[in-house]
Order: sequence, then C-alpha cells, then structure tokens
Amino acid sequence: MSVAAESDVSGAAAGGASGTSMHRAAGEWGVSGLTINYGRRPALVDVTLAVPGGAITAVVGSDGSGKTTLARALAGALKPSAGSVRRPASRRIGYVSAASGVYRDLTVDENLEFTGGAYGLRGAALRERAAQLLTRTRLTDAHDRLAGNLSGGMRQKLAFAMAVLHEPELLILDEPTTGVDPVSRAELWRLIAGAAAAGTGVLFATSYLDEAERASMVLVLNRGRELVGGDPAAIVAALPGAMFTVPVAGRRDGSGSEGDAAAEPGAAEAVLDGREAPYRWRRGADWRVWSPGGAPPAGGTAARVDLSDAVIVASLQAREGAA
Amino acid sequence: MTQSGEMPANGGGASRPASPAPPLVAVRAVTRRFGDFVAVDAADLTVGPGEVVGLLGANGAGKTTLIRLILGLLRPGNGRVRLFGEPPSRRTRRRLGYVPQGLGLWEDLTVTENLEFSADAFAVAAHSTRADAPAATRSARADASAADATARAYGGAEPLDADLRAARDQLVRDLPLGLRRRLAFAAALAHHPDLLVLDEPTSGVDPLARARLWDTIHATVEDGAGALVTTHYMDEAEQCDRLVVMAQGVVIAQGTMRAIIGAATAVEVEADHWEAAFAALDAAGLPLALAGRLLRVPGGDQARVRAALATGAVAARIRIVPATFEETFVTLATARQENS
Amino acid sequence: MWAIVVKEFRQLRRDRRTVAMLFLLPFLFLIVFGYAASFDVKTVPTVVVGPLATTVAAHLPGQFDVVGVHPADGYTQAFNELRNGKAIIAIVTPASLDARNAQILIDGTELLAARTAITGFSQMKALSSGVPTINQGPGQAYYALKLPTLKVLFNPELRTSVIMIPGLCGIILVFVGTVATALGVVRERQAGTLEQLAVMPFRAWQVFLGKIAPYLLIAVIDMALIVGAGLLVFNVPFRGSVLTFALGALLFLFVTLGVGVLISTVSQTQGQAIQLSIMTLLPQILLSGLFFPLYSMAAGVRWISYVLPMTYFVKVARGVMVRGTPFVALWFPLSMLAVLGAVVFTLSVLRFRRDLAPAGAKDEDGADVAEASA
Repeated sequence: MSVAAESDVSGAAAGGASGTSMHRAAGEWGVSGLTINYGRRPALVDVTLAVPGGAITAVVGSDGSGKTTLARALAGALKPSAGSVRRPASRRIGYVSAASGVYRDLTVDENLEFTGGAYGLRGAALRERAAQLLTRTRLTDAHDRLAGNLSGGMRQKLAFAMAVLHEPELLILDEPTTGVDPVSRAELWRLIAGAAAAGTGVLFATSYLDEAERASMVLVLNRGRELVGGDPAAIVAALPGAMFTVPVAGRRDGSGSEGDAAAEPGAAEAVLDGREAPYRWRRGADWRVWSPGGAPPAGGTAARVDLSDAVIVASLQAREGAA
Repeated sequence: MTQSGEMPANGGGASRPASPAPPLVAVRAVTRRFGDFVAVDAADLTVGPGEVVGLLGANGAGKTTLIRLILGLLRPGNGRVRLFGEPPSRRTRRRLGYVPQGLGLWEDLTVTENLEFSADAFAVAAHSTRADAPAATRSARADASAADATARAYGGAEPLDADLRAARDQLVRDLPLGLRRRLAFAAALAHHPDLLVLDEPTSGVDPLARARLWDTIHATVEDGAGALVTTHYMDEAEQCDRLVVMAQGVVIAQGTMRAIIGAATAVEVEADHWEAAFAALDAAGLPLALAGRLLRVPGGDQARVRAALATGAVAARIRIVPATFEETFVTLATARQENS
Repeated sequence: MWAIVVKEFRQLRRDRRTVAMLFLLPFLFLIVFGYAASFDVKTVPTVVVGPLATTVAAHLPGQFDVVGVHPADGYTQAFNELRNGKAIIAIVTPASLDARNAQILIDGTELLAARTAITGFSQMKALSSGVPTINQGPGQAYYALKLPTLKVLFNPELRTSVIMIPGLCGIILVFVGTVATALGVVRERQAGTLEQLAVMPFRAWQVFLGKIAPYLLIAVIDMALIVGAGLLVFNVPFRGSVLTFALGALLFLFVTLGVGVLISTVSQTQGQAIQLSIMTLLPQILLSGLFFPLYSMAAGVRWISYVLPMTYFVKVARGVMVRGTPFVALWFPLSMLAVLGAVVFTLSVLRFRRDLAPAGAKDEDGADVAEASA
C-alpha cells in the first residue's frame, strides 16, 4: 500500500482563465488494483479507479456491492488487502458517510463549530467560512435549529457543509442523496458540482444510474468487482449489437389515449418470449430488447442506447458468465 | 400537462366503456390537516386497472399522507377516498398489496415463514369475509390456501425466483437487500391483489435487479391490477404510465411524463472549461446542473445565460434542449414554494 | 389471529435472549428470594470483652455466635471490632460482678441483625430483672423463668421464602406482561411491520390478541413453575383454593398486559419502552407491600400503593397460598384487580386500535361525513 504524500503542486487548473480565484491544484487521487477482504469475504476485488481533482466520479452499485467499502478505503478508514490507494493527508479529505455523520442533538452552528474545531479552524476564520457555507447551502435561517429537526435534504446539505468546511482536496460522498427529494437533490448536486468546479476531486456513491450519468466518470460495481467503467458516453458507445423497443400488446397507451386496458393475461409473452429475446426488460409500456447480433426482434423499433441499457446488458452477461 | 379537474365518478375506468367497474383508487378533493398544517390539500388521484401511476413530490409534499389515506391508515378530513368503489376498510385491504419503503418483512422469520404469514393473513380474511365480499373477480383467487399461495410465490415464471427458493430457510435479516425486496414483492403479490401500493420499490438495488422488479410490476399490472408507486428517482418515474406531482399538499401536475414536460426547455452550455462556465452561471444565481461535462440551466432563458457567460468572460456554445422530467419537476415544485 | 400467534412464537423461538429472560429470570428470582435474600437472621457474630468475658460468653444463648473473647481488653477494643466489621454485637463486661450492668454495643448499620439482637437482649433484661445477683451465672437465670407462650401462625419458622414466593409470582407477571409485551409490540413498530399488519386484512383485536397471546401463555407457564418450585423445593404451603389464586393471577395478568400495550403505544423505540417499563416495575416491587409493610409507610406513599395492582395481587397470593384465606374474604382486592384490569385493558385496546387502523370495517359513508363536518 502506498499513500501519496499530500501533493501541493500549484498549477492553473484547466479553467484558470476565469475570474474565480477558487481554483486549486487538481490532485490525481484514486485506487489501483484495490482488494479488500472482510475476514475471508472479499468486499472489493482488484478495483482501479481514478478520482481526479476538478471532476465528479460516480460509483454505482446496490447495497453490498462494495461502493461503501471503496469510499471508506479511499478515505483511509480501511486497510487494503492488496493494491494501493492514492489520497491526500486525511485532514485534506472531506467525507460524508451514508449515515451522514451529523449530530442530531446539536444545532447547525454547533455541528459546524465542532467539525471546524476538529480540523483546526477557529475564531473569525471559522465563523466566516461557516457563514459562507450556510449561505451557499441556504441554511442560514436554520443555523440555530437542532440538526435532528431538519428535513432529510437540509441535513444532507449540512453534512456537505461540514465535509467541505476545511476546503478538502478530496471529497468523498457515500450516498449523499438517499432519501433526499428531487428539489433538495438538485441543490445538493449544484453544491457538489461547485466543489468540483473549484478543483476538488469528488467521489460520489449512488445506487441510481440517472444520478451517475451526471458524473464525468462512472464505475459500476457488482459484488465487489468492476462491471463497467469509464466515461458514460464511452460506456454507451462500447455496447455492441443494437437496442430495440417493442410495445407491449394490450398495454394501455402511455399517452393516456383510449387503449385496450383489459389486457389478456400473458399478452406480453405472446409478443416476445425468452427464446426469441433473452436480453429484454421492461421500461414503461415497452419492452427494451438488446440484440447482440443487431437483428431486430419482431415488432421492434430501433432505440438509442443509454447508460441504463448498457449496465443491464453487462449485468446479464456477467450473470451468464458466472452460470 | 393535464391538470386534475372534476371527473366523473368512474373517472379512471372511463377508458373502459364496456366495463362499469369503478377505478381502483379514486381520491376526490381530499384534504387532511394535522393541527394547522395542511398535509394534503384538495387532492385528486385516480388509479385504474392496467396502469402504473407514479406519485412524486418533495419531502413534506403530502405523498406519505396521501398514501396512508389510500391504505386506510388515516381518514380524510374532507373529500372522499374510494378503493374499488368503497371506503377503505378491512374488505378493501384484502385486495391490496403493499410494499413499504422499509419492506415490512419480519427479519427474524425465514423466507418461507414470511410468505406463509402473509398468505395466512390474506387467506384467513378471505374465509371470514367471503359471505359479505363483493363478487370481485380477481380477489376470488385469494381464497386459496396458504400452502397454495406460498407455492405460487415460488412458482412464478420469473427466472430470478430460483434465488428466493434457494434461500427459503434463511432468516430475512441474513439476506442481501435485493433478495429482501424480491421477497417483499412475492409476499405482497401472493394473494393476487387488485392494487399494488409501492413506496420507493427499488431503492438500494442494482440496475438489473431494478429492471427485474419492474418486469414483475408490469406483469402484475398487465394481469389487470393497478399500481401506485412513490419515488424520488427518474429511473423509476419513467416506468410509470402516468405521474402525479405534489407540492405542499397540492397536486400540481398530472399526466404522462411527456405531457408534464410539455414544452419546457433547458439551456445546455458546452464550454471548453466547464468549471469556468459553472462559476459564471453560479455567480449569476441561475438554476444550474452538471451533466457529465455539460451544464444545464433548466427553464433558463438564453439571454440571461449569455449575459452571465459574458460577465465571466467564458467562451461557450449554448443551445436550447427539451427539459428533462426531473428539471421540469424541480422547476414546478420550486415555483410553487416561491409563490406561497 | 392464529397466523399472528404462530408468527409470534416463531420469532420468540429465534430470540434467544428474550426466551432466556422469560424462562431463566423466574429461576434467578427463585434462587435470590428463596435462598439468598433471606430476612431470617439466625446468628449474630458477637465479641465479648472485659474481665468477665469468658463467663458471659459461655452463657450467651445460641443466637449469639461468639467470634471473640478478650478478657484483657475493654471498650476501645470492642468499638474497633465493630468498626472493622469483625462482629455486629460487642459485650463489654463490668470489672467486677458487683459493678453496674454490662455495656452492649450494636452495629446499627446491620439493621436486621441488630433488630434480632435487641429482641434477644430485651428478653434477657426482662428475665434477669427478677434475679438479685448474677452470681449464679446469667445462664441459670434465663432458665429459671418461663417464656410466655408464643404461637406463630401460618409461618411458624418465620421463613422469608414462604412470604416472598407468592409475591414473586407477581413480579414475574409484571415482567412478562409489561416488559416483554411492550418490547414485542415496539419491536414491530420500529421494524415498520406494525404498519404492514395494519394494512393486512386483520381486525385490530385480532392483532392485539395475537400479539399478547404468547406472552399470556408464557406468563402462565412461568407462574406454574414458580408455584411448583415453591411447593416442592421451598416447602411453601398452598392452603387455599387454586381457583381463587388463578382468578387473582389472571386479573392481574390482564392489568400488566394492558400496561405493556399502553407503554408500547407511547414508545417509539425499545429503549423508551424499557425505561417506561422499569418506571412501572419499580414502584410495584417496592411499594406493593411485598418487602415493606403497607402500614409502616407514610400516608402519601401508601396511597400510591393503593393504586398499584401488585398491592392487591400480593394480598391475594399471600392470602390464598399461605393463610388459606377463602374467596369471600378476598372480595376487595379481587374486585380492585378487576376494576384496574378493566380500565387499563380497555384503554390499551382503544389506543392500540387507534394506532393500528383508524378506518375500521365500520367506516361507512356516514363516518366520513361525520369526520368531515367535525
């Protein structure tokens, strides 16, 4: 295991031409060949992922896929069984665990004060930074409320504020939007993008692909191993074959117009059966069908591949490979 | 977008002129207060057979209260809630399959024991209420014995059910989340409910498992049931036939995803250095989201975007693109918040 | 409802800690109250000092266990022996037989032993007052006079276990009825499965009875075990009617189960449920007359005792088992238990119903309209 020393290389970030003075050195953090075992059980197997400064990197997977393990290993909270971790010194890391780490019986101010103290911020510097973050997270009016009384979205924003209080070079967010509604999530995403725009490297774990699509790089984990990874557009482009949609017979038209709602049981299977189209799954009123050879299924219309399609196909192929 | 208005009593069934059956769920002008707080304000909602209706809203928008009203766990202050044409009661509950966010499984029981319990719960009810039950076509099948129901839960055509069968003697607390979700579905579907109520049905599972759970929901719905699904995620919203969007207790939009998006647009910004563009647009206080290396300004007008970029001296290409559903939703909900 | 009972037993079977608590605890209590926590003080460690120490020590009655005789020492040594915990009683004999009475020191921190000693000495004093001198030796003086005839009824050996074991049944009933029931219901609420039960086609009473039935059964088994052990191992008599005892126990059990369910309806977490349970458990154990007699309590405290169901159960249980009190003489405590049971149980059913399913089967249009206009 080698942990890179804190790098303080100064150099203009890519967008240094702009008028913002917030740009800092873009570190190149990440893990390489990382394997972590819990006892005998492997939680991560040979995972490599770069988490560059000034960008958002998403890790996608189900509960138990290893994404929390990866986040914690990058944060330095777990010792690799094999492979290496490149990360800044721990006081330059901001980490939000899935449990968010906010003290519910302290106020917003007290939470920030405590975290600031832990990172050696105090006095006027702490007050100024805390006020700035409260404004940015729109929590100023809630500054004296107990964190336990905040909504889920506000609490996650507080967790974010606590994690970036000391202006870390690497920000690790484990499912920061779980249980957060879309309005708060949009705010949270904007905050996270802001951190990346200012040069911070962001690692973001989620179980939803629609979220991961906003990141510049994506790693999909399946039982501790990489399923697919890379630029979302590249993952999509790399899918061979072709995608089709096949409408489900008897399904009420999604547009709400008159349709035959009294579906015959099994009508869908009459159109497609497993032998004809083994790679198929539902999306709304249609089947999505992937054809490895590119031949269209009966009644199929060509469809644009998206990240979700690519990941589902990869999962199905992995499952076949294992069987 | 179709705003909900006065509907005939059999609104949801209107598309089935041959059948006089009432909609599965008919919520009409329902208001529910808790003290001074109006959790649900004159809401309308219909779920018909053969459709998946998605219920979306920010936290505190009234989704949970509305679901509890439909489940019969709360009574409306004003308005009417009808399930299968009657007020929520024990009789309507036996035609209902509910998967809460926490799954509602007994973690210290095995897979089989959980299935047996819910089968018993519904089978027993079927026997004790058979005399006064309406001649409901689908729920007649709920009379099957517990053993039958359990067998059906395992015997489905879905290839993934083999996993559940293999884990049948394991305690639920020892199962991975994906399998637990599948078990919750199996338990909720075993009595062939006419209405599925699913609260964030696929959270925490991987994309393939999510697709398979939705395959199950669609198969059930095509068998004649209806489904009401709450979610925060677009991966799920796009699976629904129709969406109902709530904010501050009020239904602010309903219709298909396409209809709700309507003509809403976003400004897409492509800059050589997205960081600089982000900083410029952020400073201008515009709504802003990052998508890969592109920036999006939902509902933003081109002129303001151009002005902000010029102020920051950022060179970028901009174009108008259709808004995503999530962007439309956030714009609607935010507008509602700011108006009140 | 049967489905819930079966489910409940399956869950209990896996919950080893609770099962252990429900079945081992009675035995632990039996051992504690049957053997260890005895209020019967048989012998008191005693030292005797002073010139006449040897003579006095030789004539002390059996309840004084002489652990030291020091003719050469005086008061100071006696004081030290007590302070150092070597003895509880010290007798400082006078320098000569003509001098004043011996001085007796008693360790006041050992309440029960001290009380035994004081009783013993007061008898000695009464007896020796008629004797002009103690030249004959103190021992002879005692035997010279006769004790008045004393007859202790029901518990002639004044054994603690005889009075504690009937009360122990009460503690176990409170434990199973209140603590275990409250925990069982709150666990479902915390897991979110109570809501699942609410949307299943059960009636509220089915869920209620299904949840409490297993605890009812366990409580009955526990009680049978305790009474059985009491009779066989500790020779506690059972002089009265088993039916009267069973009736009292059943009524009491309904109160405790009701309290358990009530606690569960106001607790969000198992921790809160335990706190509240302990708050109901402690006063019942301490103020019910089980340890301290009601007549020796301050009037205000005694009124607390009068609203505690345990007070009445202790009266019934001790009465029936030890004294053989007939049913008619127990009408008051039995009806108090019935009243408390009816009040608490009804309250708990209502609260539970409200918690579970506000829209019951009777929810017709009329109910909706009534709610809407209210």
